[in-house]
Amino acid sequence: MSYFRHGVASGDPLPTAVVLWTRVTPTASATPGSGKGSTVSVAYVVATDAGFTKVVKKGSVTTGPSLDHTVKVDVTGLKPATTYYYRFTYAKTSTRTGITKTAPAAGAAIGRMRFGVVSCANYEAGYFSAYRHLNAQKVDVVLHLGDYIYEYGTGEYGMGQGNTVVRKTDPPHEIVKLSDYRRRHAIYKTDPDLQELHRTVPFITTWDDHESANDAYTTGAENHTPENEGSWAARRAAAYRAYDEWMPVRLAGTAKVGDGSQIYRRLTFGALAELSMLDLRSYRNAPGGTFTQVPNADQTTRTIAGAEQLGWLEQGLVTASSQWKLVGNPVMIAPVLVPPLPNDLRDAIEDYEGLLPAEGVAYNSDQWDGYTVERRRVLEFLADQGITDTIFLTGDIHSAWACDLPKNPGTYPLTTTVATELVCASVTSNNLKDIIGAPPRTASIAVETAIKTANRHVKYLDFDSHGFSVLDLTPERARMDWYVISDRADKNATAKLSASYAVPASRQAVEVAS
Amino acid sequence: MSEQDTTSRTSPVGRRTFLRAATAAGGAVVISGAAGAPWASGATLNAHRVYVLVIDGCRPDEITKASTPNLHALRAGGRWYPNARSMPIAETIPNHVMMMTGVRPDRSGVPANSIYDPALKDVRTCGEPTDIVFPTVLERLKSKGITTGTVLSKDYLFSVFGTRATYRWEPFPLLPVTNHALDVFTMNALRTMIKTSDPNLVFANFGDIDRFGHSDLTGGSLQVLRRTALASTDAQIGQFVKFLKDRGTWQRSTIVVLADHSMDWSNPDDLISLTKSFAGTSIEGKFAIADNGGADVLTYVGAASGKTAAMAEARKLALATKGVLEVRTTAELRLGQKAGDLVVYCKSGYRFSDPDFYSNPIPGNHGHPATEMIPFFIAGGAVKPAVLSQRAATIDVAPTIGKIFGLTAPSGGYDGAARI
Repeated sequence: MSYFRHGVASGDPLPTAVVLWTRVTPTASATPGSGKGSTVSVAYVVATDAGFTKVVKKGSVTTGPSLDHTVKVDVTGLKPATTYYYRFTYAKTSTRTGITKTAPAAGAAIGRMRFGVVSCANYEAGYFSAYRHLNAQKVDVVLHLGDYIYEYGTGEYGMGQGNTVVRKTDPPHEIVKLSDYRRRHAIYKTDPDLQELHRTVPFITTWDDHESANDAYTTGAENHTPENEGSWAARRAAAYRAYDEWMPVRLAGTAKVGDGSQIYRRLTFGALAELSMLDLRSYRNAPGGTFTQVPNADQTTRTIAGAEQLGWLEQGLVTASSQWKLVGNPVMIAPVLVPPLPNDLRDAIEDYEGLLPAEGVAYNSDQWDGYTVERRRVLEFLADQGITDTIFLTGDIHSAWACDLPKNPGTYPLTTTVATELVCASVTSNNLKDIIGAPPRTASIAVETAIKTANRHVKYLDFDSHGFSVLDLTPERARMDWYVISDRADKNATAKLSASYAVPASRQAVEVAS
Repeated sequence: MSEQDTTSRTSPVGRRTFLRAATAAGGAVVISGAAGAPWASGATLNAHRVYVLVIDGCRPDEITKASTPNLHALRAGGRWYPNARSMPIAETIPNHVMMMTGVRPDRSGVPANSIYDPALKDVRTCGEPTDIVFPTVLERLKSKGITTGTVLSKDYLFSVFGTRATYRWEPFPLLPVTNHALDVFTMNALRTMIKTSDPNLVFANFGDIDRFGHSDLTGGSLQVLRRTALASTDAQIGQFVKFLKDRGTWQRSTIVVLADHSMDWSNPDDLISLTKSFAGTSIEGKFAIADNGGADVLTYVGAASGKTAAMAEARKLALATKGVLEVRTTAELRLGQKAGDLVVYCKSGYRFSDPDFYSNPIPGNHGHPATEMIPFFIAGGAVKPAVLSQRAATIDVAPTIGKIFGLTAPSGGYDGAARI
């Protein structure tokens, strides 16, 4: 039998350490979420060559049902900016060889780094061709900005208007219990494109809402009904536990499973960049709201990041010696003011990510737009401290955006901007054209034009495409390339470059890349 | 230059020779030289030429291909440090002194433009030659037989560096109100100095962008005057490069272009008076306040026994004042004793106006962290293009100059690092 069915993965590369991951299936019954199977020891080996003649680290890890047979090890004592090869072995059977790379040393002069930027991969909505094509881009690391899995049951959230199930997820019902979340992670990890990307590139991930449930906040979620599904605290704990087991990530600063759930953390890449990955769900003290129940977004008590995390972010930004300050930001921070649209179009799309309220009211309150006091704090902090080259890298909204972030949107563009925001499209999750059933580049264009007109700091917007982005970073500029796939229902979908925008160093402004 | 006249006389700061050169642009440029310094062929011992051009108050985001094509081209062909910063306090005099000493104010002796002087019992400009207590590269190079010059457009910069350089130009004519010479005159003087004495190192300050940023009453939105000044100064820089190329010295010239600080604009009503915040409280009159635009420098002047409590109260009252960003100690910022006890920074979009609301009427200000980002690049005939992420700073200029000329580090070392 195959002992390793879920591939290998690496993540959170530091200059001298990286997290390695796999899942062993020692017996046929030890399926994910089953709680069955014995405790076993899995060996690992790390080398600087693909032939494993230059082994630098080896050891073994014990796992069993309590960890859902996942294997996670934080390999230390490595050299900076070095490619390593690794594999796991159980019962004389080895995994495929994984490839990873440590981060550059602190302060090291780095000429270039390439980051894959992805979010929103809904298994039932299509194939993960975006991951396959991203793998061809030779990126140093993949940033996954959330919605790595979706919690819905089969047919509840598929492809397009009819929620077509392109492929069935597992379990078939909405995931609520720990065993459910484990099974859902497992089915994702059987996807060949995702497996191959994990095998060859280290990931740095954060969660958004669907890793637990739609529109999650501290004490609940839109897609959680305590009467039928138990307490939110228990459900969220199960979601975080499964995430800790199944993802190559350090929660609470360690690769040890179950010792804490703090996912916001900072990684550095020499003098070139520093990356702060945010958690905008765990400390969000109020729901984002709905169209019929729009909250007062300006309430000083509403938090999306929380005072402690914001303080941590600000401290990192102001003390960063690295040039580019990247912020892994699960939901959009740019203000999006939406003008009234034609009624038929507005009605058709009003459930699209909560973006368009009924009468052109000015925000999507599940984003930072619903938590304006904390947003203002962050943007004013950047201005007050004279911090340059900050880029928010964002997912969630199933569309591609490039925005300037003015300190005061009301006076833009007459006043200076303090940062920029680059938003990747979804891997497969529905976007505007999917929801309204329109052909690509038809109805969406009117909405895109209206939004860009009302929001002059929004320079680029594509509501129609699925795919991935590549952030190419040099000391001279940041450049984001948006690649779109041809058809998410096609296993063999092609990909092509759709748009490129650059942020010149020290400018805090996006421009069309040449 | 059509004619020149060299005379020797005793100046208030020692015996110097004066060269008066008529220029093609009309008017005359007067340059003084240290006793015995030769004219016309000053730099014979070392072939290197280094020109430090300070674009006073320039923001890094203002250098674009469209608005400043010459600076943009120079940057594109040189070593560019986009992550560069001014050092506290982001004011003109301390950062120029940091450039020439390579050390922080607790060693250089110049922490701010405006300080409280206990001997005078009054606030004064920290711009006397004796304020600098650390050797600058100007005189350190001079002592090695390498000639140096200063072409500084602002009166207080001319004053603070005194006769440290082999040659110096007295800024003239000075504009009323701004007390600086227009860049067109400054550049004229720079070219004249090179023609007449050709120092190995020239330290030049161009004040238009800063001065028109300060005084631009179109303020935080349009900044019309400033943009005009940017275009004008950029043209001057372009002409200077052409001048060096025409002279055939471009290949052995290194040009360090940077700003001492950048600029922030406030609305007329977004001003802060700590004097008013302290009025009627237990610390009224207990602190002398030196207004540095975006930073108030506070010196405790009350009885020694009450200092600890007064410091705590001052911090509390300052932080409670609208527009105040933070309160730092002078030790944290490595400012030295001249900066007193506390530095209060304002937020972006605000300015201090002490003692009263009429004291600082100008909308453009700096000194606070919002104004610490600066352009910084090194160009020249032998400089290869590169863009580097390291956080360069104003204190890096002296070590960079030192490295080019083979000058050893000063006693105790530099606080900055060579960037070439």
